[in-house]
Amino acid sequence: MAEIKLKNLTIEFGAFKAVDDVSLTVKDGEFVVYLGPSGCGKTTTLRCIAGLVQATSGEVMFDGVAVNDLSASARNIAMVFQFVSLYPHLSIKENIVFPLKARGVARPEIARKLEWVTDVFKLGDELGRYPSALPPGARQKVALARAVIRDPAVLLLDEPLSAIDEQFREEMRWELGHLQRQLGVTTIYVTHDQREAMSLADRIVLMNNSRIVQVSEPDRMFFDPVDVFAGQFIGSPSMNLIDLEPVAGGLRLGGSDVTLTAERDRVPQWALSAKRPLKLGVRPINVHLTEEPDVGVTLPVDDVFSVGRERFFSFRIGEAIHQGVDKRRSRAGSEGRVHFDPDGLLFFDAATGRRVNAEDAA
Amino acid sequence: MTGTDTPMTPDNKAQAHAVRQAELRKRSSGRLMIFGFLSPTLAILLFMVAYPIFSLVYYSFFNFSALRQTTMKPVGLGNYSFLLSDPELWGRFVFTGKFVFICVALQMLIGIFVGYQLQKNFRGRDVIFTILMMPMMLSPVVVGFLWRYMLNSEWGIVNFLLSSIGLPKVDWLGQTNAALWAAAAADTWMWTPFIVLLATAAFRGIPETIYEAAEVDGASPAYRFFRITLPMSAPVLFIALILRLIDSFKQYDLFVALTGGGPGSSTETVSYAVAKTAFSYFYTGEASALAVILLVIIIGLSMILVRHLTKMGEKY
Amino acid sequence: MTNSRTSTIDLATRWLILGLLVVYTIYNVGPIFWLLLSSFKSRMDLFTMPPKLFFTPDLSGYESVFGVGSAKDSASAVGVFDSLVNSVIVSVSGTSLAVFFGTLAGYVCSRFNFLGKGDFMFFVLSTRMLPPVAVLVFYHLMFARLGLADTRFGLVLVAIFANIGLATWIMKGFFDGVPKEVEQIAIVNGYTRMYAFTRLVLPMVKGGIAATAGFCFIFAWNEFAFASILTTTQAKTLPVKISAAAGSTGIEWTQICAAGVVLIIPVLVFFYLIRKHLLMGMTFGVLGRR
Repeated sequence: MAEIKLKNLTIEFGAFKAVDDVSLTVKDGEFVVYLGPSGCGKTTTLRCIAGLVQATSGEVMFDGVAVNDLSASARNIAMVFQFVSLYPHLSIKENIVFPLKARGVARPEIARKLEWVTDVFKLGDELGRYPSALPPGARQKVALARAVIRDPAVLLLDEPLSAIDEQFREEMRWELGHLQRQLGVTTIYVTHDQREAMSLADRIVLMNNSRIVQVSEPDRMFFDPVDVFAGQFIGSPSMNLIDLEPVAGGLRLGGSDVTLTAERDRVPQWALSAKRPLKLGVRPINVHLTEEPDVGVTLPVDDVFSVGRERFFSFRIGEAIHQGVDKRRSRAGSEGRVHFDPDGLLFFDAATGRRVNAEDAA
Repeated sequence: MTGTDTPMTPDNKAQAHAVRQAELRKRSSGRLMIFGFLSPTLAILLFMVAYPIFSLVYYSFFNFSALRQTTMKPVGLGNYSFLLSDPELWGRFVFTGKFVFICVALQMLIGIFVGYQLQKNFRGRDVIFTILMMPMMLSPVVVGFLWRYMLNSEWGIVNFLLSSIGLPKVDWLGQTNAALWAAAAADTWMWTPFIVLLATAAFRGIPETIYEAAEVDGASPAYRFFRITLPMSAPVLFIALILRLIDSFKQYDLFVALTGGGPGSSTETVSYAVAKTAFSYFYTGEASALAVILLVIIIGLSMILVRHLTKMGEKY
Repeated sequence: MTNSRTSTIDLATRWLILGLLVVYTIYNVGPIFWLLLSSFKSRMDLFTMPPKLFFTPDLSGYESVFGVGSAKDSASAVGVFDSLVNSVIVSVSGTSLAVFFGTLAGYVCSRFNFLGKGDFMFFVLSTRMLPPVAVLVFYHLMFARLGLADTRFGLVLVAIFANIGLATWIMKGFFDGVPKEVEQIAIVNGYTRMYAFTRLVLPMVKGGIAATAGFCFIFAWNEFAFASILTTTQAKTLPVKISAAAGSTGIEWTQICAAGVVLIIPVLVFFYLIRKHLLMGMTFGVLGRR
């Protein structure tokens, strides 16, 4: 088990900065998920921790010791790759014990460990078969068994579930979380799937454009995004982002003649008096249709549609289309009273995209 | 048209007939195509392979010379029993075996080594590969003469280089053992590039993540090479081995130019012996029997190897 | 990216590997260089000890191969140019016909199932394993009887037989790469299979046909065993003529080296052109296009 520390880590591929000045501490036994769009540098960071990519500058430290100069095989890590990386010419059993054999572990020890992982992963029937005979989900399970068999200090997972069928993925995700807590191994998991991140992580590291955007627990990541990117990347459907114009007595929604006021819509005072232009972020779950006349604003409503159990509606502010949740099972009409839940109003600096709070505005 | 009980009016009868004819034509056009397209190849191969081989087997039971075609004396298995009791023939098999073993071992070892080093992409790869492949572009006769020229004991470049670093000159083509190694060096020179070509392709076919997984799993470079690289490219390398084994077994051209079978008859391969018996001594019946023995060995060998190869392919 | 994790052992291994590669390169390229150098040496310079790297180039070797200049009248040069002409005629016509028939057979093997297809394919492949001298014992008689001995036509026949299997297998591989839908759509639209083959499929495998022709040419061009036994005077090809140059009056090394250079040039060009398909050709199409 180990604590991992990244100090001002920068990785360049020629002129391209894949990772730009990233610092982070992963506590011993913690489950950290790197989340971000493709090309954001999350996988490169993981591969650098593994020792498969060299850092251009900065340090990777395990338990306070810099490991930059250690090869992957000397770092006592285990890794599961996005695309199946089992050795096709070896049986499942030989695949699983490969890391032990490569390190020259004694036979009785190998047998003992094999028995243990076979038990944990319920692989008893598969041991004699070859990887090509297994479905992708089962192959990743074998890859995971191969990764944990020698008690690595750090477990690195690079989108391990993305090549698996939806149905099996849920099951594997649950098993994976359970296993990690059971083993207590420090784990770094890379994914672009926010649902995986939300359900697995102790902490989420959100990356974009080679930099860390936000590090926090899954809940706070959702309710307390640090900027527009974080707000819009987390949550589905995505957070609505609305331009605001300060007018007398309220904030006009960009491109329309509708104004949010302090009394009716409970817009905080500091937002009304902010010196810099703001944008409003509000998640669809915080936007509803209402029929009470004193609540909400009147806006054109385009469409009402169902996604499984949930019903969404779309409304327009100027030319922009936004979404909300329809709890009242209303029908699509030309106009509707749209209510923004005051607790769900998030304000961002229109120029920088940073989140603005009461304290910042003061 | 008319009533439902008379479905076939002359009109639609003709139509149905036309449709059936078209169907037939279409089906037979496929058969016609198979027959028409295959028959030239089949005819040539039957005439140039099957017919000669059957004739060889037939002639091998006669005492017969191409020079005096009128006298064909049936001797049953006489040619075979004579050949198989001839110590000289066994000597040729031993020599051919040694030659094949040295060549295949050297070519596989060097080829795999060089191929492993050249698998990475680098600038000018195509040009360097074309240059490296040059030896196998030469006609084997030219290769034979080139090496004979370089290995001349008096003024050859090889002995000059040897003596310039203080080593004794070797009479390469004048001693049986030296001549064996000289021939092996020439064959290896010519065909190692072929193994390099195949090995490189095989190694490049192994996905990068497999190596990364192995590195993370703690495998040393040597362990990776022997437990990952070699076994994963085994089928391709085995094809290379089969081809080199068969080709060096039937090697003829090189020896004609390089050693002429000498010194004495000590560097005569089985192929060389067939040619000598048939075209120098004109013992056509005996040569036929020897050719049949050679064919049986080569066909048997390739069948065993190909079967092993298919078994290899089934595993993954 | 710099790699700083090199221990002294790694460094030693790296130097050893580099050293071995250098040795191999010298072994690989040296003789080719020596061949090229010697093809320009006069008889005097050839036997000088120590060997000369710098000398006045002597073109007599090339002159005798191409039958020009003063060297063409020397005893050893008689008929050498004729043999070059024979080589060109035999390999070009043999290659064309082998590729033509091989293309037809390869198409059928790729698209149709017929009785004994597996056996046919194996029989075709087995011609790759066949030792030439074995069939030569009978060819010698057969050619004499049919009046084919020492004729270009006879050698063309041999060139077709020797390459048709290769052509069939490689072309089958290229046809396998063309989707079956190409013909299906044509037939649905009322065209014949023959039309689909000649007008649609063949243009799609043009590159493959060129690659196949390249291979067949290389093998036909370098062929020695058949040509040496089946020709005596008229139809000798260049490889056979060189080996004869090693006869009575001592070996004409300059001429042999020059002929070697002349022989390798077209092969070099073809090799470079078809380098993408090298594996397919060299392994009888057993290994696909990688």
